[in-house]
Amino acid sequence: MVRELLEGRFVNTAFCIFAPDGKKRLSRSGRSPQMGFGIKSGGSAGEVEKANARVIEAMAEIAKKYPAKDTKAAAGVVDFHSFEQALNVSSGDQRLLVFSVAPDIQQVAVKKTMQEVANHSEVIGRYHFDFSSATDAKWSEVVEGDSQKSGIFIIESGEFGQTGKSVGELPLGSSPEQIRNALTKANKNYAANQTRKNYAEHVKKGRRTGVKYEDAMPWGEDRDADGKIDQSRGKRR
Amino acid sequence: MIMKQLMLNMTCAAILVTSVAARGAKPDELGVSPQKMGSAGVVWYATWESALAEAKRSQRPIFFMAAAAQCSGISGVF
Repeated sequence: MVRELLEGRFVNTAFCIFAPDGKKRLSRSGRSPQMGFGIKSGGSAGEVEKANARVIEAMAEIAKKYPAKDTKAAAGVVDFHSFEQALNVSSGDQRLLVFSVAPDIQQVAVKKTMQEVANHSEVIGRYHFDFSSATDAKWSEVVEGDSQKSGIFIIESGEFGQTGKSVGELPLGSSPEQIRNALTKANKNYAANQTRKNYAEHVKKGRRTGVKYEDAMPWGEDRDADGKIDQSRGKRR
Repeated sequence: MIMKQLMLNMTCAAILVTSVAARGAKPDELGVSPQKMGSAGVVWYATWESALAEAKRSQRPIFFMAAAAQCSGISGVF
């Protein structure tokens, strides 16, 4: 999909606005929203701000044409490809991760409960959510403080998102209100005890200490669109 | 505030790809998120399938952004 949007290239960012059918493109594609709307960005902070304002304006025009049909209370809950990825993103965003581990027979009920929790005004946008799948069998090996095999775990992801700490645990049958209260308490504590990462310093520290993250995706970019991932600097098109 | 409201009017899909900073944003250029710790941010759907389902359900357009939560193999970045 990234290659389709970037004329065959595969690089670390791609942007496009699609219609709700996921097919029709409502903007051009590019590496950023600015590029997608043909807006020049960069330079001073003021120029960046102006470019961002124009992006917002363009998006607002699109949104006007597609008024939302349903209430947001019924929105689907976010799920990740894997626990590994969820942990990494939670670390990057510095949000608590709500990880539900349920046997197959209880999955539907848990997702329904989580839908009610995740769409509540006190919760929405403050946490990441993930549901266990067969590939997550070893999740507990990288998380400390968990005591049960199944349940709803509130996890604080580690500095580099490869380990975590369970800071709250609820049984699967917990009510949305019980879960919400536990989340609010944990988030308050998390916010009070964490400071925002400086990503430049974070990357430098990661290099110094030998951090290495690999997942199913090949490492690198295909900047020249020859179909092969370039491990070194490739030619720009 | 305007941006937050706008994002509510769109289904946000962040598809995660592997990052390398060869010619993209340089690590040294990455700073600190201005978002207050513990506050609400964008609700990203991390898979295309889930974003598409939500877009169809709510009839909201999809703000698609492919990105990586790692930089040059260093995890825990956004």
